[in-house]
Amino acid sequence: MKPNYTELFAALSPEAALIVGALLVVVLDLTLGRKKIAEARWHAAVRIALLAVGLAGCFTFASGRPGAEFGGAFMLDALAQATRYSVLVLAALSLALLPGTARMRHPAEFVAVVLFATAGFSVMATAQNLLIAFLALELASLSLYVLAGFDKTRPESAEAALKYFLFGGVSAAFLLFGFSLLYGLTGSIELNVIARELGAQAASPLLVVALVMVLVAFGFKAAAVPFHLWAPDVYQGAPAPAAALIASASKVAGFTFFARLLWSGTGASSGQAPAWMLTLAILAGASLLLGNVAALAQRNLRRLLAYSAIAHAGIMLLGVMTGTRFGPGALLYYTFTYGLATVGTFGVIAIIERAGRCQDLDDLAGLYRRSPLLAGCLLMFVLSLAGIPPLAGFFGKFLLFSQALRLTGLTGPAGWLAIAAIALSAVALYYYLIVLKRAFVTPAVAGTEARIAVPLKPALALLLAAALLLALGVFPSSALRLVT
Amino acid sequence: MSLSSLQLCLLFSSALFCLGLMAALSRSNTILVLLGVELMLNAANVNFIAFWRYGPNPEAATGVVFVLFAIAVAAAEAAVGLALVIAIYRHQKNIRLQEATRLKG
Repeated sequence: MKPNYTELFAALSPEAALIVGALLVVVLDLTLGRKKIAEARWHAAVRIALLAVGLAGCFTFASGRPGAEFGGAFMLDALAQATRYSVLVLAALSLALLPGTARMRHPAEFVAVVLFATAGFSVMATAQNLLIAFLALELASLSLYVLAGFDKTRPESAEAALKYFLFGGVSAAFLLFGFSLLYGLTGSIELNVIARELGAQAASPLLVVALVMVLVAFGFKAAAVPFHLWAPDVYQGAPAPAAALIASASKVAGFTFFARLLWSGTGASSGQAPAWMLTLAILAGASLLLGNVAALAQRNLRRLLAYSAIAHAGIMLLGVMTGTRFGPGALLYYTFTYGLATVGTFGVIAIIERAGRCQDLDDLAGLYRRSPLLAGCLLMFVLSLAGIPPLAGFFGKFLLFSQALRLTGLTGPAGWLAIAAIALSAVALYYYLIVLKRAFVTPAVAGTEARIAVPLKPALALLLAAALLLALGVFPSSALRLVT
Repeated sequence: MSLSSLQLCLLFSSALFCLGLMAALSRSNTILVLLGVELMLNAANVNFIAFWRYGPNPEAATGVVFVLFAIAVAAAEAAVGLALVIAIYRHQKNIRLQEATRLKG
């Protein structure tokens, strides 16, 4: 292989834009921003970062020549490009939430680490090689651990970051061990070679061990039961903008990466149902059940969102199963629209936290009187999470469930999982409506009736997320055409 | 029964991985948990080296390159981990995991 660095740079120019943006943010803040007040530094840092993300989007558009790049290390197919766009949109929304809501010190560092994480997500979307994939995953994960623990004044933030880190470190070790076994079995770290070699050899115990190890890491990244324990603590303890990124963009990139790994890397074994299908079905069923039931018992809004995320992870795992036959469109549509709704919900939480506390469900009381804009946006996001038409959450669920039922009918696990997921959606509707009841019906507690001022940039981000949810829900086919 | 060198290496790395996992799961001192995670990562590195050395084409050097990157990643991970240990020490004045119980439910 003769490396062609010009092509490599053309293929990875979006990530380069993000990294350069991150460095610029830090340098400019250290030189020009030293004497400014914190508010101005936040605005400046976010403006540069949004510019970098926008540039990365343009470069993604320009690097549209599909196919394998750099000797097969990167794959620029429709899935990769669509994932890159999704990740950039979600990262931009999380960044736009920052000015006026974040009260942490060191604005430039926070913004720079968000950009590093975004670059990691973006490389994860294109990686076609175990080494690149591992490095991208670690870049993203290490950045997210830092973001979760960024609020040094609150002990909860440090604790959330430590728990996230310990779970993540162990799962990274599992992933690396699984990768080493795949390398040993096939003699290669490139996904297409691995697929070819595995298709040629009989199933061995070593392959089972390798797959189990990869699935453990996947379960952690997706917060699927039984590897979900970090999620509620991190969602509760992390600063709201960091939690928004952890819950949205990280999910989209993680699912694309692992789905690609499972589909092209290890799924192509001679046409029959891949060996990981049943394991994935068990993970999905357990996540659906535990996520939805445990969310019912929550009094804390963020923990409720975390358990609902676990339930959604179950549905996304179903999407990984159906994607073997129907392509990645439905899975990516679901993860992206879920990410939009989650970023929006955490954005609402972040803005309420400016004025006071937003941890328990009761802290939402009287939101309709305190800020109609926030309450209206929250309505859109929560209804989309619940899957009410015409919002995008409904269409994502509809698409995934219909594909799961068509996959094997009721003879395979996917069909039954789809039916269970439909039944549990009714349970989910109950706890989502409880959130909305607090926001719209319950009167505000005495002493917290003051109206909430919504800063401009976060308000625009929320409105954009809500508009996207509505548009994607009304015109889903135009979004799906991007992926196929 | 005689074992080949590759099998011996794999046995060693599996043992190392299990030891690391046990340490990560059972220790209450955060730094010892970090050590366990490092052991697990290094077990994977031993695997890569063994598969590279005894594999079909050792001249490609894929395994060695992977290990070099993995060591760098492990170092970065240790840096972040120790920073988080300091952050937690600032708040609870010790690094015992049993006392990190503010978030639960």
